[in-house]
Amino acid sequence: MKKQAINFELNGEPVEVFTEASGSLLHLLRGQLGLLGTKEGCGAGECGACTVLLDNQPVNACLVPAAKIEGKQVQTIESLSTSNTVHPLQESFVKKGAVQCGFCTPGMVLSAYALLKANPDPTPGEVKEAISGNLCRCSGYKQVEEAVLDAAEKKDQASSED
Amino acid sequence: MSYIIASDLNQALQILRDSKGQARVIAGATDLFLQTLPAELVDLAELYETTQLEESGGLLSIGSAVTHASAARSLLIRSKAAALAEACAMIGSPQVRNIGTIGGNVANAAPAADAAVALVALGAKAVITDIEGQTREEAVEELYAGYNRSVIDSSSEIIGRLVFKPCAAGEGSAFMRFAPRRALALPLVNVAARIRVSGRRIEAVRMVAAPVKPAPTRLFETEALLQEIIPGHEIWAKVEEAAASEVEVRGSILRCSGQYRRHLVGTLAERVLKEAYQRACASDGGET
Ligand SMILES: Cc1cc2nc3c(=O)[nH]c(=O)nc-3n(C[C@H](O)[C@H](O)[C@H](O)COP(=O)(O)OP(=O)(O)OC[C@H]3O[C@@H](n4cnc5c(N)ncnc54)[C@H](O)[C@@H]3O)c2cc1C
Ligand code: FES
Ligand code: FES
Repeated sequence: MKKQAINFELNGEPVEVFTEASGSLLHLLRGQLGLLGTKEGCGAGECGACTVLLDNQPVNACLVPAAKIEGKQVQTIESLSTSNTVHPLQESFVKKGAVQCGFCTPGMVLSAYALLKANPDPTPGEVKEAISGNLCRCSGYKQVEEAVLDAAEKKDQASSED
Repeated sequence: MSYIIASDLNQALQILRDSKGQARVIAGATDLFLQTLPAELVDLAELYETTQLEESGGLLSIGSAVTHASAARSLLIRSKAAALAEACAMIGSPQVRNIGTIGGNVANAAPAADAAVALVALGAKAVITDIEGQTREEAVEELYAGYNRSVIDSSSEIIGRLVFKPCAAGEGSAFMRFAPRRALALPLVNVAARIRVSGRRIEAVRMVAAPVKPAPTRLFETEALLQEIIPGHEIWAKVEEAAASEVEVRGSILRCSGQYRRHLVGTLAERVLKEAYQRACASDGGET
């Protein structure tokens, strides 16, 4: 199988990889780059566990041909936390009990992160819409919705303080 | 396998020409990537020619690689082709809409592809260029060779854009679908309509339902009921009946029975026609 050189920006850093052109971004991230935060559920666009941001938009990494990301920005869940700190949005997920088995969580968090970036003060309906491509078999979604609204509120307070 | 991101339409056509049937175009990949891949893929998602969305010369022109998300957000489409904005907003999930394209939805030729159904109601034509450099226009409903089979050969032909007359004053369009869930579910039935009124009298109407046949299907008998009248309660009730009895629909063990689908066609036909009619009247400069 033919490999192709691909240059892109991964979590803010430029990278070059040689990879199977017909492989998916998901397998590139998990298999070749060792970024295991992005999960593989269905492999067919149906569950959202593999959600990453491609040029700031949530997409299913399992449906993105690796070669398509040439010159683009890819952001994975690993970019939101350091070894010591987690993102305020992730804190809200913990606080609201929105993480149970955790398999859907990276995708949920990234969908919510993209929403809050574009719309810092979403309505509950907008939150539901934003996470509608992410299946969760545990939480029943209510806690996730509450977590995202909680994070939005925190952001509000933070910005009114400075 | 090789994957080339084309830089313009001519280059894409050149690659198809050189590869003699081995290459195929790809846009958002949401349909094709789940199928057996050809030896060579030519990505059209970033071309200038396929990503423009504009109104000029009395036509709305939508690049084939415009994504469902951008179409659903576009003020131009929302105001002058509401049916298409509504259809695109319901496709798959945010993730699928952020990358899936309108041209791919048409070329993939699924019988109840949401954007395609709206485009047929709007009267859209696909502008297709082949590897010989010939460009032609074909009505979207003419692009179906069978279930899930397009007339377009994506290894030698490219849909550059979709064009149709925008809804003007006195015109309205609408799209509705019924699916088991609001996200990540294919529709059991989807319908779209476009209506032109003068005063409150209907002058022109196009009504489309799917899945009825391989292609989105005009409901001509239902349309005829509404021609040149000012519709009232009785007519709307007749519309529901007419639409349900006009279609030959099939059921499937996995989705729903034919009878249920027929019922849905009737119910949604009435609702979508009413909605398109109300929008047409509302945009008709307040003449009542
Ligand atoms: C989880 C999931 C849910 C979905 N839900 C829905 C839904 O609710 N409603 C719905 O209608 N669809 C749905 N789809 C189907 C799909 O997302 C759409 O049909 C989408 O619009 C396809 O566009 P694309 O750009 O991804 O096409 P691609 O996969 O890139 O291409 C599809 C086909 O069209 C050809 N092609 C693409 N662009 C062109 C062009 N410009 N000229 C010639 N040929 C071309 C390709 O060669 C290929 O054969 C869903 C898909 C998934 C994975
Ligand atoms: S693994 Fe990609 S959507 Fe399920
Ligand atoms: S927490 Fe288990 S799938 Fe969502």
